[in-house]
Amino acid sequence: MFDFLTYLLTIGGIYAIMALGLNIQAGYGGLLNFGHIAFAGIGAYATGIAHARGWPVPAGMALGMALATALGWCIGRLGRRLAADYWGIATLAVAEILRTVALNEDWLTGGANGISAIPGLFENQPRPWNELLFMALVLGLVALLAWLSARLGDGRFGRAIRLMREQPQLAACMGYDLQSLKTRTVMSGAAVTALAGSLYALQMNFAGPEFLLAAETFVLWTMLMVGGIGRTAGVLLGVVLLQAVHAFVPFAKDMLGFDSDRAGALRLGMIGLILLACLLLRREGLLPEKLRASA
Amino acid sequence: MKKRNWLAACAAVALQGALCTPWPALAQASIRIGAVLPLTGPSATIGEDIRRGIMLGVDEVNANGGVLGKKLALIVEDSANNPTTALTAARKLATVDKVPAVIGEYSSSITLPMAQYLVKEGVAHVNIGSSSTKVRALGGAAYSLIGLEDAGNRHAVRDTYGMGWRKIAVIVPNNAFGQGVAEGFRHEFEKLGGKVLAQVLYAGGQSSYRRELQQLARSKPDAYLYSAYGQESAVINRESKELGLRQVPWYAYIMSMCVSDTPAENVEGQIGMDVGAAKGELGKAYETAFRARHKEGFKSAFNGYGYDAVRMLAAALTQAKGSSSADVQRGLKEVGAGGFAGVTGTIAFDAEGQRIDPPYDNLRYQGGRLVPR
Repeated sequence: MFDFLTYLLTIGGIYAIMALGLNIQAGYGGLLNFGHIAFAGIGAYATGIAHARGWPVPAGMALGMALATALGWCIGRLGRRLAADYWGIATLAVAEILRTVALNEDWLTGGANGISAIPGLFENQPRPWNELLFMALVLGLVALLAWLSARLGDGRFGRAIRLMREQPQLAACMGYDLQSLKTRTVMSGAAVTALAGSLYALQMNFAGPEFLLAAETFVLWTMLMVGGIGRTAGVLLGVVLLQAVHAFVPFAKDMLGFDSDRAGALRLGMIGLILLACLLLRREGLLPEKLRASA
Repeated sequence: MKKRNWLAACAAVALQGALCTPWPALAQASIRIGAVLPLTGPSATIGEDIRRGIMLGVDEVNANGGVLGKKLALIVEDSANNPTTALTAARKLATVDKVPAVIGEYSSSITLPMAQYLVKEGVAHVNIGSSSTKVRALGGAAYSLIGLEDAGNRHAVRDTYGMGWRKIAVIVPNNAFGQGVAEGFRHEFEKLGGKVLAQVLYAGGQSSYRRELQQLARSKPDAYLYSAYGQESAVINRESKELGLRQVPWYAYIMSMCVSDTPAENVEGQIGMDVGAAKGELGKAYETAFRARHKEGFKSAFNGYGYDAVRMLAAALTQAKGSSSADVQRGLKEVGAGGFAGVTGTIAFDAEGQRIDPPYDNLRYQGGRLVPR
């Protein structure tokens, strides 16, 4: 049980980092990124490929973050002439292109089988400690990034991108370069998410094309929408809630003794229900964004 | 205050999810085994079919007195056709339920990372649905009841070459399974002197495959070899008929999967091969029991492997007189060495825990169902 709890906290932490990355873009900046999982995928694959080439783990992580940031720059620039919703579709397309590349370039990505046997970060430590250390690292990163993200949101940059979200013309009048703001927003979200992708590969010992499916991006979106988009505490609450449903259903099945074929449907149904309830009753999430009132 | 209530409710859900232990009745007087299957998502039909086979096996073992004086309890988890969910399920089975063996999954790209984790944890893994040859490299605690794609490819090549076809066009899904079939088949077929003229790896979930089919048709083959999942296969079968590509024969690879969702008139007369389904006297008895229990026949050829996996694990536990993972593995080796009489034929393992001479069937679709040819 203890091992499983450690695992749940670790994987929850990894999703929390990805969600924080998305929150910078979608929450603060109002950018409809539907291909967010591409950044995490780059992180995961970079870690796997670096391992296959015999490079140290930190090199793979750094490579992933650098590549994702570069992709973030491209995606940010891509939107120059596109309205927000069209830009969202373009990001979805970029993620699908990356998934197709991952699926077909056997020599680099292992094709459909993905890259397996990626060693964990603390594999040489004795049994419970390796997982505990990794969990501590992930949770430490979540705390650090949550703090940084909250600070970023309240700082000058955060206020500028919130203004860009609410009143782009006004932001332009005030002398902000909207294109640069947008690009920097996507790039910072991308770097954070790629880090989470690397951690995912290290935790799962695996990187594969299924991880790049669009559904994964929407899992992150659901977390944001349920918890409270634009607010760090809300994002974390959304992650905890959704991960809890995922973890709880298999146990509920064992406890209540209903068939396993219903458990999958129950999980999907519960997540859908929570999302619907939130959309109907608390449109801005359980912990809505607090905008600073003029003092 | 309202917000605090919300938070409390959320925390309660989270805590319950994390801390609750499995139902004690299940835990006490039974020996537990795990299974991870795709019960939601695109392979759910086959996942449910395997689950039915497995549950029938469990009932039968328990009706015959259980294992080592205890009931056999099977904990089936959903993989949602997703590697992260499958790994979480495998972790739950290994660390919370502490099962000595896990059966599953179906897709190779999910089985591989999951089995790798199980082997690392020292939990026995029993493969009943994945055909990637990478399964062979998993190591000591991994066993396969089903034939891997090299054996399947050799069988399909012998069969198609024997029909006198020399030029073949291939269409398969672009995933671990499809890539393995396409590469392996071409390799074996060209070794005999045949030629694969065109090869298309299609992207799943499309509403039309006309472009891919027309691309294949341009190569003017003697026959087409295809493999596709239920719904996609239905589209491919319909459109190949509409495009007039049925003047030359179509050969289905893993035929029960290919025809499961296609209307009968679109596949009448088609031939193909499949992993060996239930056979002989044992197989007949199993089919009757399956039909009686589920009021429906087989949906795929895979359920028999689930059934055999359960019965073989029960035999292994009895043989080893213990229920630890080491006991299961020792038992499986001993039972596998002598040849275990399963409904899919005699099961014997080689030194790598893979089935020796896995069975395949040559089939024809006739009068609305698959018949041997």
